[in-house]
Amino acid sequence: MKSFLSAEFVFATAQYESGDWDSAPLVPANIIDTIARYTEIVVAPTGAIVPLGDERMLRYPFLYLTGHLPVRFNEAERRNVKRFVDRGGLLFIDDHNHDVDGTFHKTATEEITRTVGPLTELPNDHPLYSAFFKFDGPPTTSHELNGWGDNLVHKHLLAVQRNGRIGVLYSSKDYSSEWGYHPDSKRFQSVDNTRFAVNIVVYALTA
Amino acid sequence: MRSPRSRFEFACRVAAFALLGWLLGTSVFPSTGRRVERATEATVAARLAAWTRTAPNVALHGDFATTPETWAIDWLAALGHGGHAVSWSGSPPAVAMSAEALSDPSGGTRIDVAAPAGARVLLRDDASVIDSVHVARFGASVLGPVVVGPIVATTSGQRFSVAPPDSVHTRSIVVIGAAGWEGKFIVSALEERGWPVSARFSVAPNVDVAQGGAALSLDTSRVAAVIAIDTTIARYGDAIARFVHSGGGLVLAGPAGLTASVMPLAPGALGARLRPAVQPKDTIGLGSTGFYPVSALRNDGVVLERRSSGIAVAARRVGAGRVIEIGYDDSWRWRMAGAAGSERAHREWWSRVVGSVAYVGEAAASGAALRDESAPLARLVDRLGPARAVADAGGGSSWITTRLLMTLIMLLLLAEWASRRLRGLR
Repeated sequence: MKSFLSAEFVFATAQYESGDWDSAPLVPANIIDTIARYTEIVVAPTGAIVPLGDERMLRYPFLYLTGHLPVRFNEAERRNVKRFVDRGGLLFIDDHNHDVDGTFHKTATEEITRTVGPLTELPNDHPLYSAFFKFDGPPTTSHELNGWGDNLVHKHLLAVQRNGRIGVLYSSKDYSSEWGYHPDSKRFQSVDNTRFAVNIVVYALTA
Repeated sequence: MRSPRSRFEFACRVAAFALLGWLLGTSVFPSTGRRVERATEATVAARLAAWTRTAPNVALHGDFATTPETWAIDWLAALGHGGHAVSWSGSPPAVAMSAEALSDPSGGTRIDVAAPAGARVLLRDDASVIDSVHVARFGASVLGPVVVGPIVATTSGQRFSVAPPDSVHTRSIVVIGAAGWEGKFIVSALEERGWPVSARFSVAPNVDVAQGGAALSLDTSRVAAVIAIDTTIARYGDAIARFVHSGGGLVLAGPAGLTASVMPLAPGALGARLRPAVQPKDTIGLGSTGFYPVSALRNDGVVLERRSSGIAVAARRVGAGRVIEIGYDDSWRWRMAGAAGSERAHREWWSRVVGSVAYVGEAAASGAALRDESAPLARLVDRLGPARAVADAGGGSSWITTRLLMTLIMLLLLAEWASRRLRGLR
């Protein structure tokens, strides 16, 4: 029997005026590959780039934001991000700089606090960690201890929640570097390190 | 000497003219054989005790501009059964009212009022005035948050009332479908509105993400309605049909109506999906998203929303339950990318959809006391018969007598004329 399922999931990368929003160009294709590999979620074969200052960003309830440089939203970006979170979207921010005192971390957390509220630690038994694969907390990355960043293993992700759901998920773990490779290279890994991305997407679509 | 035949003719003529004279006499000087007692809606209550003591040959007649109270109508009906000729005339307003508890987490009552077009009806309960409504054509509805005691309505001096409905125990809503934005935002909307929600989202072969509750058991003791957002509902087979037939609600959203196992329940067959009418820069509203039109509506299906390109929402009853088919499969776009307030509008819309089909327990659904006062004119007609003039209070026998007498006169004259003709006379 032919199945008729919901509209497809589009992996959207947030484009913001300040900073280097396109610092991890390989991540979308890799995550799309992972979603298609492990789930039957109908996923668009290519991602989208969505300017935060354009109201049409509200048509993409999942947004991925990354970069190394300072993050400063302009008024339109701030207004749209607030509406996005208030209406139930999930903004996943990953610090590509993975430096706890780095400019991205400082400015991004300040901007999120100013726009939608303070980030708090997400408990490691949060449903996010069991949405598809089981994790005891945020999986570590090879980049956390490579000497380029803060040399800390961040035990928690941060989040802003609305009505019990994550509206902003913030990571200092540099998943953007960890997942920034061509999907075909997965075959060289004993354990796929992008599996946590499935949890994030499944959580966004079901919670 | 007259022949017997001419005597017969003479007798016919005399009898015909005698009857005609009697009829003329009774019309000029009517008989006062049966006395008629009259009362209006204002005086009937005070007269009933005295009327009970009168002889049965006294006719009792009410001239009612409004319907008397229920107990007075019952008393008049009892007098009629006791041998009195009881009748009434006038034109009390045809009014009726019903109250139904809303199946909604925040409670509330819907009050439906029927009254003559143009009437203004004031509604109140024991606490205060609830609202006043203007009846445009057939009736009006009012949604009230809380009702204290009986609901009393008045219009043009007519008072009618209905008992408050029992509150509804809110059961959970089950959302079934593949993981996607539509299901996620339906769950969000209903939870934000206060509905307890259980969701089963299919993520991978044999992998479901469960939310809000353990094992899924479709029975009306726990579940008020099921929302299916796509064809993955097929895996539940006949359980859905059993649930609906036992009183549960079913919402078939988007392509769910294409599922073979629920097609017999659906209000109609779905056509091919119509593309959204929205332009890239448009603000998205529910009406501008794409939808599956209900193209072949069943005879018992009711259209709830029609767009220029087809039927978007339709409903029907199945067994003890209700099924609503919603062509929309992208309502989440309305919530996320709609105009200001679209999030709240999306929430309220989905809550209304679910509330319209949700199972309501027997106790809450059944009416209460005071039901007889909810439609006073209907009760008056039911107990005393339709309105009729006072002259007919005796039951219409005088009319029959007049017709018989006229027939008799004509027969007598005809017999006399025929007899004369047979004798060769003119």
